[in-house]
Amino acid sequence: MIEIDGVLVSKGKAGVYGERVLKGHRVWDPFRSKYAAMHAKGQVVELSSGMVVLYLGAANGTTVSHFADYVEYVYAVEFAPLPMQDLLMVSDIRKNIVPIMADASRPGFYAPMVEEVDLIYQDVAQHDQAGIFIKNMVFLKPGGTGILMLKTRSVDVTKTPDDVLVDVVEKISPHVDICSHCWLDPYHRDHAAIICRKSQD
Amino acid sequence: MQSYWFGDYDDDSCRCLFGRDDFDPEAISGRLLSLDNDMAEFSPLKRHIIENCGCFSSRRDYLKKLREVSVYMAVQKITEYFSRGDTVLLRMVRMLDEIDTVINMLSGRALEWYLAEHPDQASRSRVLAGRKGLQKMARGSSGSLGRLCHEIQKLADERNLLMKEINRRADEVMPNCSALVGGLVAARLLSRAGSLEAISRMSAGTIQVLGAGNALFSHLRSGTPSPKHGIIFQHRRVHNAPREVRGRVARVLATKLAIASRIDFYRGEVDEAFLASAQEKIDRAGVSG
Repeated sequence: MIEIDGVLVSKGKAGVYGERVLKGHRVWDPFRSKYAAMHAKGQVVELSSGMVVLYLGAANGTTVSHFADYVEYVYAVEFAPLPMQDLLMVSDIRKNIVPIMADASRPGFYAPMVEEVDLIYQDVAQHDQAGIFIKNMVFLKPGGTGILMLKTRSVDVTKTPDDVLVDVVEKISPHVDICSHCWLDPYHRDHAAIICRKSQD
Repeated sequence: MQSYWFGDYDDDSCRCLFGRDDFDPEAISGRLLSLDNDMAEFSPLKRHIIENCGCFSSRRDYLKKLREVSVYMAVQKITEYFSRGDTVLLRMVRMLDEIDTVINMLSGRALEWYLAEHPDQASRSRVLAGRKGLQKMARGSSGSLGRLCHEIQKLADERNLLMKEINRRADEVMPNCSALVGGLVAARLLSRAGSLEAISRMSAGTIQVLGAGNALFSHLRSGTPSPKHGIIFQHRRVHNAPREVRGRVARVLATKLAIASRIDFYRGEVDEAFLASAQEKIDRAGVSG
């Protein structure tokens, strides 16, 4: 990952969402993007130029645009029409984004368009985030990395965020090897990042 | 056999849907929309499959064509979303409610200003309330305040035109719901639900308390009395009903709205027989005793 004076940045054409520019590089703001927040909290997942990424819950394409600066290809899945319009504009400038308008909880509909990927990144505001993550594991290469950005408030508002995290980790651990997890405060409240790996066999 | 966006693949044989020159995103997206893969049997595309198939001259070519298809499909879906009648209606209601808030806020400020310049009228401020009051203030003041009052009046006129337009459109998009509660209330329910499809999937109980979110959650959390009605309170048969039967009217009305919204979504036309029996049931619920 590229850092300038301790600030996470990415190389690419600026002006996607009014991001700051530092010495010709686009600043990747931890308050805007959960990936940058995770990086700021010391959980580093390297992105490299040969990687193919499946991004679930692409929204307006702010984080997606930074991913696209680092990796070879991003398959960006988003369901809602209004954010999709923004995402289409972002992908118009970054030709290595494949925008897919589909429901991440129903991979059957977009499976024929997605290839096997090195990294799955999920950031969806859904109740069953663990279930969606497990369903999409089929696209991950053996040995590949999965990052689940858990919005605990979307899972259950009546439980404490800590309980939700424990539940989700328990739910996904039969399917993947959990490497680590961390909370994203002060950047994003009640959000946790879970990093895991798909086993080789 | 595995079906992928560009064709079918079976162990070593591969059937491509297009040659090098007859690539057509529309045809490919049509086929893709009809596929719903069983994920238990599915094996994702791998780089060597793409290369062995020989449909594409290079990886760059593969990704370019894939993007053409995915962008085409996304644009189609967005266009479809915006061409639905309920999407536009939803935007119009939200605009109307926002204009109401703005008019209230502006006329409140204008009144404060007017009273500061006419201290003798402070006690009669009820005369200055509402549309008539705005007219009086517009006539009674000069300069900026007078002009602003005129502008607020103009905004209020525009708001009434918008309301007529909403009523007309609601009659088209959701004829049965509009017949039961009137276009504006029907449209407000739609705005709260998000789409006609969403409202048609709601239970009557949900429709009954739509728009009473705060009361409902305080009921669920700390056991305060449950809300009897949300947006449907705005309908005259609910708010004009005697207190003791108001809950019953709201409940019956909500059940009929749940049915009406389903007719609206799936059939899209007026069902006279249903409406007659529904109106009668709702009226009967309003008779006390």
